[in-house]
Amino acid sequence: MQQDGSTPPLRVVIVGGGTAGWMCAAGLSRLLAPADYAITLVESDEIGTVGVGEATLPHIKTFNDMLGIDEAQFMRDTQGSFKLGIEFVGWDRPGSRYIHPFGTFGEPWAGVDFQHHWTRATLAGRDVGSLQAYSYAVAACRAGGFEFPNEDLKSIRSTYAYAYHFDAGLYANFLRSWSTARGIERIEGQVVHVVRDPGSGHVAALTLKSGARVEGDLFVDCSGFRSLLVGGTMGVAWHDWSEWLPCDRALAVPCERVEPLTPYTRATAQTGGWTWRIPLQHRTGNGHVFSSRFCSEEQARDTLLGALDAPALAEPRLLRFQAGRRARAWEGNCVAIGLAGGFLEPLESTSIFLIQAAVTDLANLMPVRGGGVDPRLAAEFNRLFEIHYDRTRDFIVLHYTANRRVGEPLWDHVRGMALPDSLAHKIALFEASAAAPDYKLGLFSRDSWLAVFEGQGVLPRGYNRLADRIPLAETEAKLGDLRARIATNAAEMSPHAGFIATYCARASAA
Amino acid sequence: MTRVVVLGRDAALWLAAGVIQKALQASGITVTAVEMASALGPADACTTLPPLEALHNQLRVDEAVLIRTTRGGFTLGQNFADASGATPAFLHAYGSAGTAIDGKDFFAYWLKARRFGLPAGLEDFSLTAAAARHGRLMLPDDESEIYGRCDYGYHLPAQAYVRSLRALAIYHGVTVHAAEGADAILDPETGAITALQLDGGRIEGDLFIDATGPRGELIAALGVRRESWRAYFPADRMLAAAGPRLAAIPVYAEVRASETGWTGLFPTQAQTHVTHAYASALTSDEEAFRAATAAGGIALTGAGVRASDPGRRALAWERNCIAIGEAACAFDPVHGVDLHAIQLGLVHLLACFPASRNFAAERAEYNRVIHSAFERIRDFQSAHYVLNRYGRSPFWTRALQAQVSPDLAHRIATFAARGDVAPMEDESFSPDSWRALLIGHGLIPDSYLPTADRTPPEQMKAQFQRMLGFVKQQVLKQPTHDAYLAELDG
Repeated sequence: MQQDGSTPPLRVVIVGGGTAGWMCAAGLSRLLAPADYAITLVESDEIGTVGVGEATLPHIKTFNDMLGIDEAQFMRDTQGSFKLGIEFVGWDRPGSRYIHPFGTFGEPWAGVDFQHHWTRATLAGRDVGSLQAYSYAVAACRAGGFEFPNEDLKSIRSTYAYAYHFDAGLYANFLRSWSTARGIERIEGQVVHVVRDPGSGHVAALTLKSGARVEGDLFVDCSGFRSLLVGGTMGVAWHDWSEWLPCDRALAVPCERVEPLTPYTRATAQTGGWTWRIPLQHRTGNGHVFSSRFCSEEQARDTLLGALDAPALAEPRLLRFQAGRRARAWEGNCVAIGLAGGFLEPLESTSIFLIQAAVTDLANLMPVRGGGVDPRLAAEFNRLFEIHYDRTRDFIVLHYTANRRVGEPLWDHVRGMALPDSLAHKIALFEASAAAPDYKLGLFSRDSWLAVFEGQGVLPRGYNRLADRIPLAETEAKLGDLRARIATNAAEMSPHAGFIATYCARASAA
Repeated sequence: MTRVVVLGRDAALWLAAGVIQKALQASGITVTAVEMASALGPADACTTLPPLEALHNQLRVDEAVLIRTTRGGFTLGQNFADASGATPAFLHAYGSAGTAIDGKDFFAYWLKARRFGLPAGLEDFSLTAAAARHGRLMLPDDESEIYGRCDYGYHLPAQAYVRSLRALAIYHGVTVHAAEGADAILDPETGAITALQLDGGRIEGDLFIDATGPRGELIAALGVRRESWRAYFPADRMLAAAGPRLAAIPVYAEVRASETGWTGLFPTQAQTHVTHAYASALTSDEEAFRAATAAGGIALTGAGVRASDPGRRALAWERNCIAIGEAACAFDPVHGVDLHAIQLGLVHLLACFPASRNFAAERAEYNRVIHSAFERIRDFQSAHYVLNRYGRSPFWTRALQAQVSPDLAHRIATFAARGDVAPMEDESFSPDSWRALLIGHGLIPDSYLPTADRTPPEQMKAQFQRMLGFVKQQVLKQPTHDAYLAELDG
């Protein structure tokens, strides 16, 4: 407690109860002292959540661990499966495929990052294979296997992390039970009016359809695309990124589960966009992200249903969106988290991570009990928010622009479009020198960039000359050893489906 | 791109030539050093930051030999003191303070405990700072490494250090030419440098490194303008002198603020190097000498003065010329970052070394990273001035009123609000350094991380006691600086 105990707890009101709202409620209730913060979540059963089959990044394990969630229980309750990466099919050109793994490519030798050694050998004409052959996680995906990363950091079996596929609606329910059991107040109701303080312009209270009034000191806007408070009430501008990310629609449909249960998400490029495939325990989530400029809803529907690997379990559902973000996520005493703050298509499973990062930042920069909103801390929140969204955007745009699908209007357009300077530089630098982005803040790591560069035909013509300090024959031999070590170990992995069955199978699904 | 020519003098010349030769000889790259007259006097010292050890390792520098032959010493940080005694001193130690509690960063707990009357200062929780205060080194072991980071730098008599770097560069295969000066010969089409014209002949190359110091003779010849950082820093002149070796050699530098500026004391085995930074419009060279003598409390000899003119080239790398060290950026002398800036330049140059003649992307990357890294250092230094509490003399009033960059203003604001060191890319100074600096200047945050309140207070108190006990016990195990130096002499 930072002030004397006589001041009342700070009232935090979360608006919206989807994944963002409940991650926020659970995270804040675990990170903050219960005596100092009164956390309320307002949600309406009348408003549907966007949650479809959801794929995540490994960071979510940190979030769940922080909450103290039992992994097997959580996976059972959300129909979860494991995820070691994303397979991209047809992004370079029709039929091409690569995996963006949650793991490293090789290891640094002589203080020089791995890809320089690989590039050097490749440019010298040695047959050292694709970069893909140097990722244990890629080999595990191809083998359809899963096991927990080895704790011995010298083992090749330690060189990856994992995430989950789960039903996002079930995850929100799971976190709702978790949060309400720990003192978060849940109010059912639809917000019909927002009351502002005439002096400060801050939001003072929400009026619900029932006439009830919910007062607060800080409002977290998890209202989704509507951005009720930050976009609506506070009127914060929207930065439209559709010039780089022209997809603006998605159709989502579940289908029956098929075998084998793949330990990865699949994203397949299509003429008018791309389709996703997310394997859960009880079914497979599918969807088609497309650009209404280049593809009609009917075409998208046909493509989606034609690509299913099992019978559909429902009618495809349409979602509309626009890529972009708010100019600021924190304005006055309102903080937008999730879709209310920004949207990037689910190509790299970033939406839950972006929520998680915002919740962590908010806990750190939160007003203290007895204190008001501090604009200095709001500015820091907004700085980090920008870094997260803008860096993620560059990575996603790379998937579009680096393609050789010549003759397809959408793909011709994104190949030729003017890129953000920050991305154009990253591509030029990699082509010249094999140096991949390696920043400290925000997604994604160097290995992720490498996977997509190589997978989509962006290839280096030079490398870090420090790699020359190892004789080429020795480098070639080390590369061969590494490939063999990965292949041998991956072959010994247990099948993903079997692992799930023993670890966390849903009783009804067994 | 196989012929590298380095023009310059002193540490920048020999570090650049030696490091590039050693790192890239396997790639068939040859380095020629064109050596100009030294700008160093016998009173000059090099102060180094911890990362330099890694660069020394690349050059195969043997630390014991280095300290023995240069008659240098170790440093665990800088003690910032007020000569008048009015403002409490603080140590910027090259190590971390405290260890995590409940899986969360120590600092928030320290801020919290302070509110409840904890008398122990931040540095009492730092092994490095506590060792420095006791005149001892801090040699890490398994236990202390779990507790926190303990780093160190050196104080090296500059002339002796440069002699050993020169010998190493030659040992690694650098070809040396001496020259009074050199003219850049430019390709009439591309404007790139094709050769250096010396009195005795012409040296051709593919890449040219400008290590000539603040004048940046090659980079300036390519028309790259200089951006002044004058507005950030109150001192424009620096005196360097030498005093006798101290009876017990302190294991840190002392930076003592007085009315006219500050006096730096850098103890080595050879002597005590003393500097005084001041503003020429306010203080004459004679007054500066008297101030340095008074602040140091020792008799000084061999005094020399030079300009201090912080600023950088708009581009550190233009065409095929890379400016390294002061040719790229001159810093304020207060934190002794000159060698660190050389190191940053070289490390990034090796990372961006051209793969072919078409190196626009590598050059752009180099300029981007160096631009940002230099600004981070400038901001750290600038904070030392704008936050000072050294009284209202004209010098320190100027310092208070100096320019503040938007990034630094934001950093100070988030720290003042929450004790948060806003994370930024390309940062040379750790959060521990920033905390030592900001807390040292009396910037006590208005709040601390609310997540620290999840930890039961008893757990926090017990941990604090354990830490203070551990620091004391570890420090008493350490050798004194003098004993350690005597051992190196064998």
